[in-house]
Amino acid sequence: MFRRILAILAGRLVAFLCRCLKKGGTSLPGFLALKLDPDLMKGLIAGYRQVIIVTGTNGKTTTTNLLASILRAAGLSVVTNSEGANMPAGVATALLGQRGEVAVLEVDEGTLALVTSQVQADIVVITNLLRDQLDRYHELQQLAGAIQKALVHTPEAALVLNADDSLVTSLGDGWGIVRYFGLARTPWSQESTREVLEGHICPHCHQPLEFNFYHYSHLGDYFCPRCSYRRPRAEYEGRGLQLKPGGTHFNLVYPGGALVLHTPMPGIYNVYNILAAAGTALYLGVEPATIVRVVASFLPGQGRAETFYLRDRHITLMLVKNPTGLGVALRTLATGRQKTAFLLAINDLAADGRDVSWLWDADLTPLLAAPRSPIICAGLRAGDMAICLKYQGIKEADLEVIPDPAASIDRLLAEPVQEALILCTYTNLAVYRRLLLQRGARSEVTSGTSLPGVS
Amino acid sequence: MKLHLGHLYPEFLNLYGDRGNVLILCRRAQWRGIQVEVTPISLGDKLAPGAYDLLFLGGGPDQEQGIASADLFAKGPWLKEAVEEGTALLAICGGYQLLGEYYRTASGDTLPGVGLFAAYTEAGNKRLKGNIAIQVPELGSEHPIIGFENHGGRTFLKGARPLGQVIYGDGNNGADGTEGARYRNAIGTYLHGPLLSKNPHLADYLLRLALRRRYGEVELSPLDDTLEMATNAAVYKRFLPARGKW
Ligand SMILES: [Zn+2]
Repeated sequence: MFRRILAILAGRLVAFLCRCLKKGGTSLPGFLALKLDPDLMKGLIAGYRQVIIVTGTNGKTTTTNLLASILRAAGLSVVTNSEGANMPAGVATALLGQRGEVAVLEVDEGTLALVTSQVQADIVVITNLLRDQLDRYHELQQLAGAIQKALVHTPEAALVLNADDSLVTSLGDGWGIVRYFGLARTPWSQESTREVLEGHICPHCHQPLEFNFYHYSHLGDYFCPRCSYRRPRAEYEGRGLQLKPGGTHFNLVYPGGALVLHTPMPGIYNVYNILAAAGTALYLGVEPATIVRVVASFLPGQGRAETFYLRDRHITLMLVKNPTGLGVALRTLATGRQKTAFLLAINDLAADGRDVSWLWDADLTPLLAAPRSPIICAGLRAGDMAICLKYQGIKEADLEVIPDPAASIDRLLAEPVQEALILCTYTNLAVYRRLLLQRGARSEVTSGTSLPGVS
Repeated sequence: MKLHLGHLYPEFLNLYGDRGNVLILCRRAQWRGIQVEVTPISLGDKLAPGAYDLLFLGGGPDQEQGIASADLFAKGPWLKEAVEEGTALLAICGGYQLLGEYYRTASGDTLPGVGLFAAYTEAGNKRLKGNIAIQVPELGSEHPIIGFENHGGRTFLKGARPLGQVIYGDGNNGADGTEGARYRNAIGTYLHGPLLSKNPHLADYLLRLALRRRYGEVELSPLDDTLEMATNAAVYKRFLPARGKW
């Protein structure tokens, strides 16, 4: 017990010092406190009314932050690791801060068991399982297996699962309480897919699944031609999707009603994030009107898709970390009628993933059709990006290789266009954000949704 | 002139951007006015040995590889006959392992392979993972072949000649300095993903091997590979250890 008190005090002292020094330090307090007391989270989590864990490959941070915003708007005090620090040290850091009634914890899908072995969750939300940095989780089925083992530690939890992802739904087999969210056929659904697929094997009889349609990657309406395995009915289903400049509209149909939702966030991937967060909130009994109101004004935190203004220019900065994310970002953002300047900044440091082979698994075709100025390739793997685009069909005259970040952004800003899109891997994100601010760009993210304590 | 390319199990063996290699081979042929027909070859497809000039076999996750390997084993005699008749072949990572004589798992079970390459693979503890450069003298180029490897298995050659010698990285097994295997016009290698993207000299070598059977020695018109070779050189230098491993 003394050990735990010491760990908590030490962790809080470090957190205080980090704030004084205006260091980000998002995981350091938890890291040190866990060293002093490896079971720290077990003690810190006691006394919460609801503990919700959000995990999966893509959309964790947006889903976590949106759910936390909805629950706060419903009058609850919420503790969350809103800075996307989702490893055990980051989760512990969040719990070391001010206590609340509800904890909404974003947890890295690869280290889930380390958290669930200490934290009994009431709800576990799983967004999707997509191909991510392959040198970290080299196989999705292995990852699904690890998540299944992690869930055994928290047997009472209700699962909120993506019905459109066969790997995720297989985790609900034989589980007590399971609720599904999903998206009905849309005008953008495809009969076949250009993307490289994984997770298209029946979890029961190990034969290839067949699809009525795909939304993106392996998400869609699937069924096994041999056994009875198929996409489960979604209790929280998105219908009537309309993607428009300036926002997305759809209906969320749930047992007992339907919500009409509008969001300023672009793209089908954000529809999934909203279905996951809103579905969980409905399951918890939050007033529908509260959900509609929060979804209408919610913008994701910095860097996921942050918009900057510089003179008459509109610059979108977005993190891409896997082929699905890159493909979806291009499908969403490279469809404008306006001429757009593109910058792709690819690094291969440990946090980016050392292997950049994944670039070749992404569907880059939206770039072929987009009205654009030359595409600038930057970062440590600028050449790899450019070669990939060359063989996809971009003329070499339309490609510029400028590895240096500052030089690449100055080249981007020299283009006489009003729309610019910067897609970058993890370690480039903060670099390009700083370079934009240094050049006088203004971020659109309001103080309410930007990251606290990051200078 | 037309190149017939058979892509084996494209829906299963597609890890790490492998399909990029097929795209690169197509483009580099088409830029020279050579037509290309790509045929996906999958489970249960019947095959005529003389139908293809070039076969491509990638790597896949365990379960997918399991599905493909049972079928590949059935296609083994056809595949060997095709290679004996001069068909070119590129097999990467998992695909390379399946073409060896056998794979010995960590628990000691022996899974038979196609037996095209006189080589076998054993499960290892630590994955061999990272940037790799090899020297392939046959290419007649001073430029190395560079790529990325990520494999748990250790492959040992028992008679097959290697594709190349490791400059840095692990190669077949991290011990003997060899990388990949050759048999006639077939190449097996651990350099995964879009291997040909930064190695246009290897891509053209494969195209010449593939065209030879139908058209004899073909002179490929030169392409502008400035971007590819500059990237090859930059990546090669960046990961070159102060002192070479071998
Ligand atoms: Zn089945």
